[in-house]
Amino acid sequence: MYLLLSILLSSCANQDKNKNSAEGGKKDNLILAIGGEPDNGFDPTTGWGQYASPLFQSTLLKYDTDFNVVYDAAIDYRISDDGLNWTVKLRDNIKFSDGKPLTANDVVFTFKTAKNSASVVDLTNLDDVKKIDDFTVQFFLRKRNSTFIHHLISLGIVPEHAYGASYNENPLGSGPYKLVQWDKGQQLIVKANPHYYGKKPFFKKLIFLFLSQDAAFAAAKAGQVDVASVTPALANERINGMKLVALKSVDNRGVVLPFVPKEGKSVDGVPIGNNVTSDIAIRKAMNVGVNREALVNGVLKGYGTPAYTIADHLPWWNSETEIKNDGDVKKAIEILAKAGWIENKDGIREKNGVKAEFTLHYPSNDHTRQSLSIAFADMMKALGIKINVKGKNWNGIEKELHSSAILFGLGSHDPLELYNAFSSKVQGHGLNNPNYYGNEIVDAYFEKALSATSQEQANTFWKKAQWDGKTGFSNKGDAPWVWLVNLDHLFIMRENLIIGPQKLQPHEHDWPITDFIETWHWKD
Amino acid sequence: MTEIGTKYLPLKRSENWNRRKRALMTSVIAIILLMVLVVSGFFIGTDGLAVNFDASNSAPSLTHPFGTDWLGRDMFVRTVKGLTLSFWVGLLAAFISALIALLLSLLLVLNKTLDSLVTGLIDLFLGLPHMVTLILISFMLGGGLKGVIIALALTHWPRLARLLRAEIMQIKNTEYITVSRNMGKSWFWIARHHILPHLIPQLIIGFILTFPHAILHEASITFLGFGLSSEQPAIGVILSESMGYLSSGMWWLALFPGLMLLLMVAVFDSLGRNLRNILDPFKGQKG
Repeated sequence: MYLLLSILLSSCANQDKNKNSAEGGKKDNLILAIGGEPDNGFDPTTGWGQYASPLFQSTLLKYDTDFNVVYDAAIDYRISDDGLNWTVKLRDNIKFSDGKPLTANDVVFTFKTAKNSASVVDLTNLDDVKKIDDFTVQFFLRKRNSTFIHHLISLGIVPEHAYGASYNENPLGSGPYKLVQWDKGQQLIVKANPHYYGKKPFFKKLIFLFLSQDAAFAAAKAGQVDVASVTPALANERINGMKLVALKSVDNRGVVLPFVPKEGKSVDGVPIGNNVTSDIAIRKAMNVGVNREALVNGVLKGYGTPAYTIADHLPWWNSETEIKNDGDVKKAIEILAKAGWIENKDGIREKNGVKAEFTLHYPSNDHTRQSLSIAFADMMKALGIKINVKGKNWNGIEKELHSSAILFGLGSHDPLELYNAFSSKVQGHGLNNPNYYGNEIVDAYFEKALSATSQEQANTFWKKAQWDGKTGFSNKGDAPWVWLVNLDHLFIMRENLIIGPQKLQPHEHDWPITDFIETWHWKD
Repeated sequence: MTEIGTKYLPLKRSENWNRRKRALMTSVIAIILLMVLVVSGFFIGTDGLAVNFDASNSAPSLTHPFGTDWLGRDMFVRTVKGLTLSFWVGLLAAFISALIALLLSLLLVLNKTLDSLVTGLIDLFLGLPHMVTLILISFMLGGGLKGVIIALALTHWPRLARLLRAEIMQIKNTEYITVSRNMGKSWFWIARHHILPHLIPQLIIGFILTFPHAILHEASITFLGFGLSSEQPAIGVILSESMGYLSSGMWWLALFPGLMLLLMVAVFDSLGRNLRNILDPFKGQKG
């Protein structure tokens, strides 16, 4: 509130100016309130830009809007026949925003720094990276890994000469924009980078305000921001001169169900397994019985799509896993009855003395996940499955991670996420494979996908891991999760602002919208 | 009785309708109101809490007197359930508080050093901002029902303890205590037989007046996110949820639960005041 007030006060002075230029629609700066201030600053080697293009820095490769890999700072890349040796050729005309050239040294420095950072950037598979000449770099991998390309797509290149302990607060790179000022907790001001080698952005200056969603909406209503992110609850409010843009996403929400029975095992004091959800009939019945369309319309006000897997509509998604007619309570009950789950006098099903009852945890500060949990639990009542819904903070949830259902959200542009969620090799590693799912056939497909030499080949194996006609980790196979919805990422923006087509948005509802910001412009 | 009446009520009033009777009536009405609130919480079914997307976000109407929330749950049912929970939290917290206050204040009778310790403790707790201690204790205990009740119980006793101490100090200097002492009775015996009965009216009034405090504080720390967790049917949870919907014009999410909370607190407050008039008429009228 205080922040909003101070912004309102400070912007009073130049409000008239803003108004005039907004009416003309030709001002060359933009004010955005999309949230997402990074805790660790803007250092790519510790995680900045993992979900979106890093804005200040450029990457070697990038995705176009259809997830084809295209060149960015690189002009060519080759993979050796054994898949262990990647050679990347750089453009020779790239300059950092301070005017110094970007060379192979900077790329080597970036990957070495990231490898040693022990952050979310996981480069343990990178054995070494060497400079061949000024504009050629060679990467040596420990094991074949087709998803290594994602690091070339997501890791922004930092300058060796300007990298220091405070780099995360003073980022400098070869991306479309350069930092002017960052007032923590308030705003970030960036200016177009005059040395940028790509398309020169139309907007010369961007101001990102870090406001709460409510404050951002109020600011948009008052005409003080040009772009603001909104929740579904506010999406239907009409604001004069603003339009609603709903970006489709793979930012999914789903319920992860403990896959193994409770046998008294635990890891670091956290118990493993659940006797109800370890029964495949329960998991299958819930997948069939939940009405995803109703969740989209009810909880998300229509701003979303039903989710069937972890990676809907991405290139490595197996479209056979789509569930055509969910919400089929009759069929769900049939599955349960066939497996021996019989309704008792309280309306809860029982099998061999085990009641079909378990707890579903959600992060208590996340309103959408809370609503989804409550609505999902309510829908499962009709099946005779009792779900107790509980809100906790993440520390509390981690104690229940392997033994009760959790409302999760994922969605990455890196297929490695499939491996991290479903490979038996990563069971219980942090938040990876939290439900101890394991299937040898799926594991074998993962190995093949990782060691594939081309993206197409890898994708066929990623698809088979989901469903190969007999088994898989999707709802058709072992159904270890009940995926519910993909959220639309909602933004309100000036009516005459054109942002062009966007990629399917990943898990974060903030920076990914800036992926193609150099192409944004006003409507003529 | 008539003597006192004419002394304190110089204006001629109806013989049948004096201050005491009025206080009694109000208390009875207050108790009935509270019982209705609490008992209805038991009998009201959970059908209204079922998710019903077709009826979501509807304004107050005959079928939904308090409107519905974004999941189509009936706000009236949620409010009543919330008030019931608040009542039990308040009851338990106020009871424990009163017990702590009584035990600590009785230490005055037994031992001087212990009493000065208690006085220090009272000053310490009264000196700290209430909300801060509440949040600290509740957060330390991991929030939830347990955390909130313990935090409320540990923060609401000092006022009552101070009141009881003053009362005990007065009684301790009376003659019959000296006589009793001279007859060889122990301080423990005296505390039980001479002092405790005198404290009962104060204790009951203090207990009831702690109630509204406890309920309001429960709602506020829950609202701030340090109290009950968000799946529980508490007024604080309802109010903090409604914040996200106020800018889209769903005023009923906050108004009715807030009003009902206010009503419950006001009823408790008036009950406490009226009981003071009945149990402790001299002090009650001065206050």
